[in-house]
Amino acid sequence: MLALLALPVGQPSAAAVDRLSLKVADVANPAFTLHDIRVVFDAGSATGEISVARARVGGRVLRDVRLRCARAALSFDGFSCHGADLRLAGRRVSAALDFELDRRSGAARLAAGFGQGGRMELDVDGGGRLLARMVELPADAVHALLSPWSPPVARAMRDFKAQGRASGELEWSGAGARSSRLSARLRIADAGFGTADGLQAGERIAIELAVDARQARDGWHWQAGIEWKEGAAYLHPLYLEAGAKLGASGRLDGRRVRVDEAALEVEGVRRLRATASADLDALDEATLSVDVDGADLALIGPRWIAPLLAPASTERLRFAGHVSGALQLRAGRLQAAEARFEDAGFSLAGAAAGAGFAFGPIAGRASWVQGERGRARLEVGGGRWEKLALGGFALDAELMDDGARLARTTVPVLDGALVLEDLALSRGPAGWEGSGSVVIEPVSMPALTAALDLPPMAGVLSASLPELRVSPGEIALDGALVISVFDGYLRATGLRLREPFGVASHLSGDIEARHIDLAQLTETFSFGNITGFVDADVRGLELARWRPVAFDARIVSSPGDYRRRISQRAVENISALGGAGAVAAIQRSLLRLFETFGYRELGLHCRLAGGVCVMDGIEGGERADGGFVIVRGGGVPALDVIGYNRRVDWDELVERLQRVVAENVSPELR
Amino acid sequence: MSVLPAILRRLGALAVGVVLTAAVHAQGNLEIDTPAISALKQSMQKRHAQLAPLYAAGAVGLAADGTVALRDAAGVPLAQRAQVTSMIAAENADRAALYREIARANNHPEWEGDVRRTFAQRWVDRAQPGWWVQQGGKWVQK
Repeated sequence: MLALLALPVGQPSAAAVDRLSLKVADVANPAFTLHDIRVVFDAGSATGEISVARARVGGRVLRDVRLRCARAALSFDGFSCHGADLRLAGRRVSAALDFELDRRSGAARLAAGFGQGGRMELDVDGGGRLLARMVELPADAVHALLSPWSPPVARAMRDFKAQGRASGELEWSGAGARSSRLSARLRIADAGFGTADGLQAGERIAIELAVDARQARDGWHWQAGIEWKEGAAYLHPLYLEAGAKLGASGRLDGRRVRVDEAALEVEGVRRLRATASADLDALDEATLSVDVDGADLALIGPRWIAPLLAPASTERLRFAGHVSGALQLRAGRLQAAEARFEDAGFSLAGAAAGAGFAFGPIAGRASWVQGERGRARLEVGGGRWEKLALGGFALDAELMDDGARLARTTVPVLDGALVLEDLALSRGPAGWEGSGSVVIEPVSMPALTAALDLPPMAGVLSASLPELRVSPGEIALDGALVISVFDGYLRATGLRLREPFGVASHLSGDIEARHIDLAQLTETFSFGNITGFVDADVRGLELARWRPVAFDARIVSSPGDYRRRISQRAVENISALGGAGAVAAIQRSLLRLFETFGYRELGLHCRLAGGVCVMDGIEGGERADGGFVIVRGGGVPALDVIGYNRRVDWDELVERLQRVVAENVSPELR
Repeated sequence: MSVLPAILRRLGALAVGVVLTAAVHAQGNLEIDTPAISALKQSMQKRHAQLAPLYAAGAVGLAADGTVALRDAAGVPLAQRAQVTSMIAAENADRAALYREIARANNHPEWEGDVRRTFAQRWVDRAQPGWWVQQGGKWVQK
């Protein structure tokens, strides 16, 4: 309540009658309290000064407030002060002020015009109602006004270089301390902010804000609505655009603000509710609980999840389905999280080529609490890895602060399964690390070859890889993967999957093949016909995008007594693979006379590096003319297949092989 | 030592030249141009066209640890900051893979740290005038 002239007037100065000095003990109003007020009026020069030793504004105390009036008038009706400047503790506030006080009604009016444009009018009536009107008030002025109320907010405005203009009305009514009401309608336009490093920034922002509050026994009860109308913001690493609406209510008790309920409308989320609690002097320490219901992963995945969890793969990641859940944060750090998935799906396309992998639909829940053990129990409907479809499986994992431990997980693959055991992963400074073991329960080769668009093969694939190690950029699988095929077997060891999610993804290992039935092999690949068996050793095999890029391979006839025949077509094909001039001319005429030929042994050695296969034949089969024996004849009729080209372009060789297999035509013999 | 110039010529295809440490090349006879390294170089070279203007504008700098870093996002239009962040993450994933692959190609995966340090120094040395590089924990403009 304003009580300036109702209070005892101080002693007029005795020095001159045209100079008046008044002292007022205090002025109380719901919005502010002023202590030790002095009014000095100089009638001769029509100037004056109002000084306040101590002003309490919204819980803050300002000392030494001085209003110097260029033109002042004092009458029985009141006091007016125009063209005034304001100093706070000796510092001039950049504003031109006018002040009027009506003694009869007790009403006061303060109008401020700011240097950068913008105006603010403050009316206080005798009943204690305060009405503030802001017209295009610049950010600097808002900063000055906010400083006494919330230094952290004012500091943030300065640190974030807040720009913009605020307009609107604020009404504060209620004479008694227990029945005050506050109502504000604010519009912020052309606003922007930006930290020096540009990691937090906003541009062309328009916001509408409505606040209604009333004071009760236990503090202020408030309701607020905020609508983000225009503009965009980048809060590293998230880019946000206008459109969100927030409705909230809560309490303010002293310096403690509580958001009892907040509802945020944001695109892609059916319902988002939050509660929060903070000290106005330490907003950074705020606690926040968020409940999310029905978030559309296809929308929030690329906007919120990918930039936070997988920034390098944002363009390759796809999301589907819905997630609901809750988050708890304290001082900006995640304390607990819970997620419930519904028909969710995730896929990561291959970095360079290939389909990558996908999982879904996923249902289930995951919960995590800082410093405790959380749990994820998910039902995964199925998946895909490259061309391979994966069956449905249950995923049960223990979640730690920086990692997870999977219970035995069985992922069906065709008629077999991939079994992961004791898999524990943790996130280190350079990436994911962990260990476990892998078993592939038998997958039939007919099913596998059909799924991979390969020629049908009989047999079974299985693996026991007891030492799985995950390190940044590498998955090492020690143990053996065995394929029983073509009456023999292939055994892969020392498997290493490197840079599995990047452009340089490649797989390496060693392969040992024994007793491979050439009759089945050549029939499968339409390569003519060879009877007999071979053993092969492939060292340092490296596959990039499933194509061999390096190896040292040696194929030899298996030891033992068995029928060894080779068809005319197979001879032609083998010689074609050896490049130009593979068969001696004299044998070429022989070739056309018979369908099949006997052979004693065959052998081929290819060391692939840098796109070139350096070839050799049977060990010790070098000829004086520079050729090398690939097939050594035996029996009747017999013929040798001799290669002369020791350096074969690998891509060309593969192309020729594919042509032979696909077109089932004889390659050109030169 | 003799193999070093050949390696350098190959890696020189990168927009910013690279070199191996004395510790690495002292072993000699390194087959450095593997398909994986070549795939990474291609990927980085393709991205370099988009990164070069950001280096020049000072938005992205060459960090002391052989990565690239968002130095001053304020120089990037707001709507593109998220894309640039994602591009930097992808570039750093490629760089980390490149360092690992070069160490592996030398049959010394444990050299990754040396390779990274040497590359970091070379990226800085070869940076164009006006680009920002991190030295002694501070950003300086070349």
